[in-house]
Amino acid sequence: MQTPRVRPPGRITRLIAGLAAVVVLAACAPGTANTGSGSGQPKPGGDITFLIDSLGDTWIPNNSSISSFQGHIWGHVTDKLVYVDDKGAVSPWIAERWEQNADATEFTLHLKQGVTFSDGTPLDAAAVLANLDIWAKGDTARGINPIGLFPKTYDHAQVVDPATVKVFFRAPTLGFIPTLGYHGSILISPKTLALPADQQADLSNDIGSGPFVVASWKEGDSVVLKKRADYNWGPPALGHQGPAYLDSITYKLVAEPSVRTAAVQSGQADVAYNPSPQELASFKAQGFTTATPRYLGFVNGYAINTKVAPFDDIRVRQALQHGINRDEIISTVYTPDWLPAKSFIQSNVPGVTDHSADFAYDEATANRLLDEAGWVRGADGVRAKDGKQLALTLFPNPYLATSKSIDELVAQQLGRIGFKVTLQAFDVVTYSSRVDKPGNPNVPAYEITRSFIDAGTVAGVLTDANKGENWFGLGQSDPELVRLGAAVAGAKTVADRDAALDQLQGHVLRQGYFVPLTQIVQRIYLQSPKLQGVTYNGIAYASYYTAWLG
Amino acid sequence: MNRDYATYALRRVLQAIVVILLAYVFTFVVISVLPGDPVSAVLNNPQNAFTQDQIRDIIAYYGLDQPVYVQLWESLSRFVTGDLGLSLRTHLPVSRMIGEVLPSTLALAAAALAVALVLALAIALGTRYLPRRYGQGVLRAFPSLFLSMPNFVIGLVLIQVFAFQLGLFRVIDSEGSWATFFAAVALGIPVSAQVAEVLVANLDHESRQDYAFLARSRGLGKTRLFLRHLLKPSALPVVTVLALVVGELLGGAVITEQIFGRTGIGSLVQRSVTAQDLPVLQAVVSLAAVAFVVVNLLADLVYPLLDPRVRLLPERRRAEVAA
Repeated sequence: MQTPRVRPPGRITRLIAGLAAVVVLAACAPGTANTGSGSGQPKPGGDITFLIDSLGDTWIPNNSSISSFQGHIWGHVTDKLVYVDDKGAVSPWIAERWEQNADATEFTLHLKQGVTFSDGTPLDAAAVLANLDIWAKGDTARGINPIGLFPKTYDHAQVVDPATVKVFFRAPTLGFIPTLGYHGSILISPKTLALPADQQADLSNDIGSGPFVVASWKEGDSVVLKKRADYNWGPPALGHQGPAYLDSITYKLVAEPSVRTAAVQSGQADVAYNPSPQELASFKAQGFTTATPRYLGFVNGYAINTKVAPFDDIRVRQALQHGINRDEIISTVYTPDWLPAKSFIQSNVPGVTDHSADFAYDEATANRLLDEAGWVRGADGVRAKDGKQLALTLFPNPYLATSKSIDELVAQQLGRIGFKVTLQAFDVVTYSSRVDKPGNPNVPAYEITRSFIDAGTVAGVLTDANKGENWFGLGQSDPELVRLGAAVAGAKTVADRDAALDQLQGHVLRQGYFVPLTQIVQRIYLQSPKLQGVTYNGIAYASYYTAWLG
Repeated sequence: MNRDYATYALRRVLQAIVVILLAYVFTFVVISVLPGDPVSAVLNNPQNAFTQDQIRDIIAYYGLDQPVYVQLWESLSRFVTGDLGLSLRTHLPVSRMIGEVLPSTLALAAAALAVALVLALAIALGTRYLPRRYGQGVLRAFPSLFLSMPNFVIGLVLIQVFAFQLGLFRVIDSEGSWATFFAAVALGIPVSAQVAEVLVANLDHESRQDYAFLARSRGLGKTRLFLRHLLKPSALPVVTVLALVVGELLGGAVITEQIFGRTGIGSLVQRSVTAQDLPVLQAVVSLAAVAFVVVNLLADLVYPLLDPRVRLLPERRRAEVAA
């Protein structure tokens, strides 16, 4: 056999190829936008396509309901006991009303009657009980996870009558009712909950009571939802009853961001999820709708591990807080749709107060604090003490697309006050084993991105009291933090809790335990102007139950 | 000859089995050495806020707390009985997941191969018959041009022009015939370059051989000369190249499927690698090993049909010939 002789491509040829590609790309700039406007009156009918960057992993309801991707589908296929809007206001849904005892340890839920799952099973007290148990405890022997943020104080629930459930807690749990509107708390048919994990993993078997049902799905490709004609129990807060207006919603995975947005621009799809923040202004100028709803939860920022030197020194932690220019982050990485942090909790969470003065950007103060702490600038601008440089390693959060850009900017800003900042970026899997959790001794500054519905959650993460996550590595060594955490967790009234929460925020921020960056927007939507009436809940998921095509 | 074939085939099948088992074990070892696993990645998602006790229970359910050799043994004993197990990422049976996406990838790969062959043949023909003033030289630059264009660029340009500007297909209907055709073009163009380079080089070589001069001097027409005498010997190395591009078609499919929003083995691998979904990766690697072995076996079997000089000789006689 003879060896084929192959000529290597010449330099000229490569040049021509490169030029040709540039010319073709330039000629293919996006066409004019579709700027049709709607009629303003809802009308039934129509199908929409939602282009999404991932369809997540498993569909076992408990294991997937908090996924930033799958939550969209669950939000349409299932209902919740209560509705929580984007301001954190709780209103009735499947639970028409509720009562609690004076200690906030016993709750009675009164359910709407006549609600059924799409398999015909009634959504009654027994079904709610089955759901409460699986949310709280999971079934690890069957591979079913619990819902992480469900109150750990849950004891048990009991059926009083088919429309009434009583729920008991081991300690005051004011957060219980709001948590029922959390994206994890989706009501699933008891028949589904009884299935083995590998059958629950098949989305076709996962039955809810929501305004849409799964018509078909293909792993890693698409999910098609069809309207349920007999649906008549939407949240009254949304101002619409009866079935959804739209006939169907197709969630289609398109991994390439430019293809997602160009498809909406060319009218081939109606919604593109997670376009790049920097492109939003140009989409708006072309007449498209963009949405950047904020979820309820922690702001984006760093939980500082106080056990790691030199962050065991309060002055160094405070210098970090004052050395970061949040307005510059918003103007460089984001758009004016983003807001600077005012506390370490998002401003829309009920009970959250403005503490921005405690960590305001002020280079002079930051420099003074570091001088006082004995960190002296060297010739290269980096501060040092006892022969050690003032170094900080940041680990960009892989769950947030903009995290690396923010960390790069923060590295420059902290460089100006004498820090030497390095970045170590990992993919999700490596990150989960190397960076792991806040409080990891190898991670001085853990980047937080977490939603929650109720401020009561905060108390469970700051120290290690009650198996808390111990974010700052303090254990229970700061008695004031422990006291305030317990006051928030154990409050029996909202007024008591708000007072404790205000003090807790002030304490955490003045101690420099948390370095807030910006309020977080984790879900960004680009939408055709024809699509109207979309609502966003407290976890920033878009609901198309009330949406129609104009 | 029949007995020789049988021995040969048996040896190849045994080799294939060893290759597949090695691929299976190798994948297991490589992935196990990497830090993390899909189950803990989900559990450690800060949104989940699980307690350490909860995480320990769940890890134990998946047997991920067992020593690596125990996990390997269990996985291997299932595999030899044909059970590919459950995906750690989706918790669905691996066989079902692969079964769902395989037809789409096979359709795309077959279409891309057809596109590549047609393009390569057109280029080869053009370099023979296109008059110089109409750009025969330019045509010769095409293979290197194609090779220097990454297939995601080709894909994005095709989508921009044919889907968004001309509206010939919809991105959301990624399995439609036009969408499949353009995906096949994106995937097939770089592959056609390799085939065309080999074909053109061999045609040049063959046409300078004495027999070609002789045929021409006897007044044989260009087309007859090409079809009857030049194409067959020139196509021989193409068979080898085709056997090798199978890997490229599967590898390129990862990017092409992602750009065109298609589901398939490529996109499944991409999701599984990101999540370190070991059972799926092992199954796909084994499948790829099977495909590679089978395609190369087919290439070896086609050889004697194209080239009568290639004979299958038992080892003893081969040694004699060599001596």
